[in-house]
Amino acid sequence: MIKLQGIKKIYLMGTQSLEALRGVSLKIGKGEFISIMGPSGSGKSTLMNIIGCLDTPTAGEYVLDGDKVAGLSFDRLAAVRNRKIGFVFQNFNLLPYATAWENVELPLLFDGKSARKRKERVIELLNAVGLYDWRSHRPSELSGGQQQRIALARALANDPPILLADEPTGNLDSKSGEEIMDVLTELWKEGRTIVMVTHNDHISARSQRIIRLFDGQVI
Amino acid sequence: MIGIFFRNLVRDLIRQPLRTTLTLSGVVWGTFSVVLLIAFGDSVGKAQIKRFHGMGEGIVLGFPSTTTLPWQGLLKGKPVRVTPETVEAIPDKVPGIEVISPEFVGSRLISHGRKEFRNTVRGVNPGFERMRNTIAETGRFINPEDMAGRKRVCMIGDVLAQDLFDRLDVVGETIFIDNVPFTVVGVMRKKQQNSNYNGQRDERCAFIPWTTFAALYGYKYVSNFIFRPLDLGRSKAVTEDVKKHLAKLSGFNPADPDAISIWDTMDFEKQFTTFFMAFTVFLGVIGSFTLLVGGVGVASIMRVVVDERTREIGIKLAVGARRRTILWQFFSESLVIMLLGGLIGFGLSAGVLQAAKAVPAGSFSDFVGVPVLNPLVIVSTVLILLVIGVVAGIIPARTAASTDPIAALRK
Repeated sequence: MIKLQGIKKIYLMGTQSLEALRGVSLKIGKGEFISIMGPSGSGKSTLMNIIGCLDTPTAGEYVLDGDKVAGLSFDRLAAVRNRKIGFVFQNFNLLPYATAWENVELPLLFDGKSARKRKERVIELLNAVGLYDWRSHRPSELSGGQQQRIALARALANDPPILLADEPTGNLDSKSGEEIMDVLTELWKEGRTIVMVTHNDHISARSQRIIRLFDGQVI
Repeated sequence: MIGIFFRNLVRDLIRQPLRTTLTLSGVVWGTFSVVLLIAFGDSVGKAQIKRFHGMGEGIVLGFPSTTTLPWQGLLKGKPVRVTPETVEAIPDKVPGIEVISPEFVGSRLISHGRKEFRNTVRGVNPGFERMRNTIAETGRFINPEDMAGRKRVCMIGDVLAQDLFDRLDVVGETIFIDNVPFTVVGVMRKKQQNSNYNGQRDERCAFIPWTTFAALYGYKYVSNFIFRPLDLGRSKAVTEDVKKHLAKLSGFNPADPDAISIWDTMDFEKQFTTFFMAFTVFLGVIGSFTLLVGGVGVASIMRVVVDERTREIGIKLAVGARRRTILWQFFSESLVIMLLGGLIGFGLSAGVLQAAKAVPAGSFSDFVGVPVLNPLVIVSTVLILLVIGVVAGIIPARTAASTDPIAALRK
């Protein structure tokens, strides 16, 4: 599903260059539940951004779902993000002025789906996360757990095969965190590939495999 | 999407009323200036052309002068003399002339009762009326019968009538020109006139048959003549032909530029029109700069908005928005602000122009005319508004579209 070969990422900061990833190679199979762990500055976020097609590697090869993604244009990557990847962030990243409904609808809009299809799908997703009754509320009117569930519904909008979760429980109380982890586990059991970045051993224990990063390399 | 877009826009506009007001006011004021300046320039030009037409439309004036080149043994400096009969016979010899009139001009004592003025008296033929826009408001202009009978009749200007009689309905009254009684057969219609030659403006003149003028004062040679070509576009060629014809009859070098000095009003009008066109463009450019300042205001405010919404842009990019989508979102937002401001500016200026119409006609409106929202004004303002709007919108929109999603999400 995901195949990284010798991925390097070098950030240029003035005259200094910072090597965030030094030749990372890894394979994640279809339907796997992976945790990426490591201390701050180990390159977790950079790796996630590259897997999530938000960033492109300086060197190396990245094959996602059979397609070579390294070297694609930004707008081509946008389409990949839209259809193949669902993001769940630590701080939810919902549009503050938009309602729960509109937030969930966003990826469908960018995919150019018809109004009827969008409506059907949003209703389905909101019911799935149990927040249909909250559809016209803004994020500020929802609890952290509810916001993360809206974010999950948004991530699943275009039914992507891969879910990327960046500290999905980091901003939640333990009960809400457990709930979100339950949903993620459920989604994994349905056959989705899940890649999660976390600091929390308790959370990472839910995954099948843990990839540890240190100083830009897999250890 | 459209729903979110407008809600977002309205929210942005309402949440910061001061910022919105200031941004909009720049565009409103700019549009207002562009509209008013162009409308004003256009109307001043038109009013001036109209006043110029007061002297006549499509006419050529010829003033017999003195020769400046020797000719057939005669030294230069010889006066050129043309009789009224020669003038009236020109159309028989020179093709392409619609109507022609000789003109005698003199400053004469005109009186009625105890009122006495020294005004300009013009001896002309009936063709003069159409050429010089000296149309009779009451009564008539002089006619062929007056010419043939050397009748002592006159049409007088409206101001002269007012001066002599304190009223305008004076057809049938008698006035004295150098103590010779004349019957008033017509009073001229009031008109705007900003230029003339040989004496006062027509509103203060008395017009009499040239035959009468010649008989009364013993004049043999005209002060000037005046004609209108059949084809106004050929005025230059026809004028040359007239000069050649007169050169033969009066004995001067046909190449002599000053033997007969010519005033081709069409030439003059062209220069006039060009000048006022340039004047209007100049005003339009000044207005555009004002609007440009408004546009700069919009662009910088949009920069702030883009900055405030970096996170939103990041989220949208992360869930699959293309750069184009982001670009379009911010671009159209700037454009909506520009158009909203433009609309208010248009409304304001339309109100002011409407109010200007209500100003009673007087010397002010004679001079500047009545500025209106005509197609010229509307089309040029909309074009200027669009150009500035597009430029003001594209800069912040490009900034927004080139946002780095990773940095934006971290914010």
